[in-house]
Amino acid sequence: MTGFQIPRNSLAWMLAAQSAVIAPHLTRLPYWTIALCVVCVLWRVMVYQGRWSYPGKWVKVLFVFFGIAGLAVGYGTFLGLDPWVGLLIMMFVLKLLEMHHKRDGYVVILLGYFVALTQFLYDQGIPSTMYMFLCVTMITAALIGLNQTRSHVRPAQTFKKASVLLMQSVPLMLVLFVLFPRISPLWSVPMQTDIAITGVTDRMTPGNIALLTQSDELAFRATFADEVPPLSKLYWRGLVLSRFDGESWTQELPALYGRLYRPGQTRTNWQGNMELLGEEVTYSILLEPTGQNWLFSLTMPEGTIKEGIGLVRDFRFYSFRKIRSKLRYELTSHFNYRIDRELSDFWRYRYTLLPKDSNPRSKRLAKTLRANSLNQTDYIRNILRRYNLDEFVYTLKPTILGDDSIDEFLLDSKRGFCEHYAGSFVFLMRAVGIPARVVVGYQGGEYNRIGNYVEVRQFDAHAWTEVWHQGQGWVRIDPTSAVAPSRIESGLESAVAAENTFLSNLPLSWMKYRQILWLTEIRLQISAISYYWDSWVVGYTPSVQMSLLTKYFGDLDRKRLGMLMLTTFFGLLGIVAIFILGKRSHKLLQPIDREYLRFCHLLAKQGLPRSVGEGPIHYAQRVGRLRPDLADAMEVVTDAYVRMNYAEDHPEKADSLRTAIRAFRFRTLSISS
Amino acid sequence: MTSSANSPDSIVWRSPRFRQWLDRRMPPANSITLDQKKIFILPTREGIFFSLLIVFMVLAGINYQNSLIFALAFLLASLLMVSILHTYRNLSGLTLLAGGTLPAFAGEDAEFTVVLSRFGARTYEALLLGWNRELLQGADLLEDEEVKIKLFVEARKRGPMNPGRMLIQTCYPVGLFGSWSWVDLDMNTIVYPRPVPAGIIPVASASSDDGELVAREGVDDFYGLREYRQGDSLKHLAWKSYARTGELLTKQFAALADRRIWLEWEFFPGMDREERLSRLCYWVLKLDASDDEYGLRLPGVEKTPGRGPEHREEMLKTLALFEVEEFEAEQSAVVKDP
Repeated sequence: MTGFQIPRNSLAWMLAAQSAVIAPHLTRLPYWTIALCVVCVLWRVMVYQGRWSYPGKWVKVLFVFFGIAGLAVGYGTFLGLDPWVGLLIMMFVLKLLEMHHKRDGYVVILLGYFVALTQFLYDQGIPSTMYMFLCVTMITAALIGLNQTRSHVRPAQTFKKASVLLMQSVPLMLVLFVLFPRISPLWSVPMQTDIAITGVTDRMTPGNIALLTQSDELAFRATFADEVPPLSKLYWRGLVLSRFDGESWTQELPALYGRLYRPGQTRTNWQGNMELLGEEVTYSILLEPTGQNWLFSLTMPEGTIKEGIGLVRDFRFYSFRKIRSKLRYELTSHFNYRIDRELSDFWRYRYTLLPKDSNPRSKRLAKTLRANSLNQTDYIRNILRRYNLDEFVYTLKPTILGDDSIDEFLLDSKRGFCEHYAGSFVFLMRAVGIPARVVVGYQGGEYNRIGNYVEVRQFDAHAWTEVWHQGQGWVRIDPTSAVAPSRIESGLESAVAAENTFLSNLPLSWMKYRQILWLTEIRLQISAISYYWDSWVVGYTPSVQMSLLTKYFGDLDRKRLGMLMLTTFFGLLGIVAIFILGKRSHKLLQPIDREYLRFCHLLAKQGLPRSVGEGPIHYAQRVGRLRPDLADAMEVVTDAYVRMNYAEDHPEKADSLRTAIRAFRFRTLSISS
Repeated sequence: MTSSANSPDSIVWRSPRFRQWLDRRMPPANSITLDQKKIFILPTREGIFFSLLIVFMVLAGINYQNSLIFALAFLLASLLMVSILHTYRNLSGLTLLAGGTLPAFAGEDAEFTVVLSRFGARTYEALLLGWNRELLQGADLLEDEEVKIKLFVEARKRGPMNPGRMLIQTCYPVGLFGSWSWVDLDMNTIVYPRPVPAGIIPVASASSDDGELVAREGVDDFYGLREYRQGDSLKHLAWKSYARTGELLTKQFAALADRRIWLEWEFFPGMDREERLSRLCYWVLKLDASDDEYGLRLPGVEKTPGRGPEHREEMLKTLALFEVEEFEAEQSAVVKDP
C-alpha cells in the first residue's frame, strides 16, 4: 500500500490540530525546532498537492539530526521537562513526512493527544483548558477523517461528529475524574527546568521589594474557616533574614539551624520554645507556584502541616521540594504567642552581628539615641518616632543608595520603601546589642466576598522586623507603620496614592481600577471562578478527594471507591447508550412517508413484504393479485399516499392517509380473527 | 452444509464448531437485519494502542499530580467507551438483502449484488463488505435509503457456487473498535467450466442430421451488423460503432450452412472429464457465436440442438453440473490427501 494517501479531510484536521496544539509551546521551543516544524508542515502540504514527493531517507536522517541538535543547543541539556516536550513535538511533526500507511496517521494522532497533555504541565488555567479541549476536538476530527470513506470530504461535518462524540464523553469523564482513586506519585518525573522564581526571595537588598510591588500577580489565596481577621493583622510570614553583609539581608546559615521539625517524624530540642496563646484562627492557603521552597503563614502557626514540609528553627515552613505547581495547605495560627523566651549566648551573638566597618554614622547615631533613652522599649519608641516625624518619606521611588546604604538612608535621603525601614531598624537595634531580625513576606490582601477568601498579590509584599525582648521572646515591630500607617491599614495603593506610583508600569492592570465598582465586581467574579477551579479541579488531590467523598459516601477504602466508580461509570454509559442507540427516530422522513413505511411494515408482518425498489403502485398491484381480499383497501391507502406525495396539492391531508391505513388495519384484523 | 468447494473460507474462523454455532445463531436468509444477536465488536489494534496511551496518561497524571492530565486521560477513556456504542450503531439496524448474481467461468469472478438499506434517520458510514478481507468494498448510506453493492468473488471451480458467509465490518467513527458480522445471504450462482480452446471439431464426429459435413475453421467472414442480444459474445461486439452511436451491435459473420451440430463427449478421447468439459464449453461459446444450432451429448445426458441465449445458458449449466458430486468429492480428496 505504498500509494496510500491520508484522506484530505483527515490531513486537513491533522495539520490544523498540530498547529493549534504546538502554538502554546512556541515561546518555550528553540527557534531551530520551530523552523523545522514549519518546514515539515509545508513539505507535507506540498506532498499532498502532488508537487513534491516524500523526503528521501537521508533528508529524514538530516532532519532528525538537526532537530535533536537544535534541542540540545537550545536547551543546553536533556535533563528536565522542556527538552523532552520539545523532542515529543519534533517527533510529532517529523512523523508527518512519513505517512505511508494508515497506521502512520494513527501514530500522528496519538502523538497529538500526548502533546496536548504536555500543555497541562505548564498551564492548568481555565482558558488553557478550554483551548486544549478545542485542540482535542480537532485531533479527534482528524481521527474520524481517517476512518471515513475517502469520497466523504466535509471537514465541518467531521468536526461536528468529533464534538458530538466528546460531548457524550464528558459526563463519563466527570465520573472518572471525581471517583478514580487518586494516589500519590509512583516515581519522580522530570520537571520544568526553568520555572520562573516569583514572589519574595531570600535576599533583601534596598529596592528589590519595591520592584516586586510593581507586579499585580497573584501570590496566594487564603480561606478562613471563620471570620476573616482585619487586614492590618494579616502578616504573612515567609522568611526570616538575619545575616547582614553591609548591603543585603539573607537567611541564617542552614547548618546553624539544625534539623527541621517534622511532626511525628523528627524531634528537635527547640519546638518547645513556641508557646501559643489566645484564640486560634484556622485557614487554608492555595499558593501559586513560586519556584522556591518557603511557605507563608500567619504568626504564629502551629507546627503541623502536610507531608514534605517541615518547620524551621525560626518558626516558618519550608517545603522540601520547590513549589512548581499550586499547593494547598491547611494551617492554624495564634495571634498571641511567645517564642524563644530564652536566647542562648550563641544566638544572642548571631542576632546582634553586624559587619565591622559598615555604616559607621548609623552606629554612632544608634549609640547616641540609646544613651538618650531610658530603656530598650523607650529606645525603640524613639526610633519609630523619628521615622514618623523626621521627614521620612514612604515611597516606591527611593533614592539610589551607595555602599553605606543605611547611613545614606537614615541620615541623608530619608526616602525609602519597607525594606529600607526594616533593614535600618534592625541595624539600629543590633548596633546597641538588641537581638533583631528582618522578616519578609506579605502584609494584608484583598477580601473577595464572592469567593470568601483573601487574595494576596505581589504588591502586598512587605518587610518588617522582629525584636527580642528578655522574657517576652520575639516581638513583631513594623517600622513602616510608623512612617506610613495607611500601608498597614488599607494597603499599598493608598499609601502611595499621593505620588501615584501604584503599578505605574502596568497601565492596564485590573488592580488600578479598584474604584470603578462594576469593574471590580467583574474582577472579583473572575477571580472567584478561577479560585474554585484551582481548588476543586486543579487542586483535586488525593486528600481533597478523600475528604470530599467521605463527606458524601462515608468511609471509603480504595476498593469500595473503585467499585463505586465502575458502577457509576457503567450506569452512566448505559444512559448514554440509550441516548445514542435508542434514537431510531424518523427525522429525515416526511410524516406521510413515515405512515406509509409503517403500513408496509404491517403488510410485511402479514407475509407480504415490499421488495427492494418496488414502487407503491406496483406493490399494491402485486398484493392485490396475491390477496384479492385486501386489494381495495390497499388501493385506497396507496392512492392516498401517491396523491399526497406526487400531486403536491394535498400536503395537509396526511389525515386521509392515516384514516385509510386505520381502515386497512381493521380489515386485516378482522380477517385474521 | 451450504458451503461448496467454491466458498472462500478465509473470512470466517475455520473451526467447524464455530461455523455451526454461527449457522444456528444467524441462519442463511435473503434478507438480514443486523442486531445485537448478529453483531460482534472488539477493539482494533489501534484501539489497544489507544488504551496504552490512556494508561501512560494516567501514569503521567499520577506522577505529576496533575488533575487536568487526569481529566484528559479520562476524556479519552470515555471517548473509547462511547466509540463502542457508535461503532455498534454503525451496523445495527442495517438491512442486507440478496440482490442478483451473475454466473462466471471457472477462474473468473462471479458477481453478487448486495443491497444495503436503512430504515429511519440512522445513517451508516464507511462500511466494508465482501468475501475477501484484502478486497473489501466500501459503502456509505448517508443520503440514500439504499445502495446496491456489486461484489466479485473468484470462482475457482465449476459447479454451483454459494459464496457462504460474507463479512460486513466497520471501524467508523474513530477506528478504535471494529464491529462486524458474518452474513450469509444465501446467494447462489453457477460456475461454468473454464473454456479451453480445442482446435477444430473432428470432422467425422461433428455430424449433423441433415446436409453434408462441412469443415469449420471458425467464423471469420464478416457480413453485417445486427442488434445485440443477450448472450452474444463480447468478442463480436461492434465496439467502434458502440463508441460512435452508443448502440450495442453484434457483428454478424458469414455462417456456413445452417446446421445442427452435436457436441460429443467422444470428441476428446484420452482426456479426463474436466478436460473434456472445458473443451466442450469452449465449443458451446464458439458455436453460440455462429448461427448454427448445436446440441450436447454427455454420458447419460442429451440436450437437443437449439440456439439463443437461453439455450447457451442451458448448455453451459449442463456442463457445469455434469457429475458435479463426483467432481467435488475428488476435489475434497485432493485437498485432504497431501
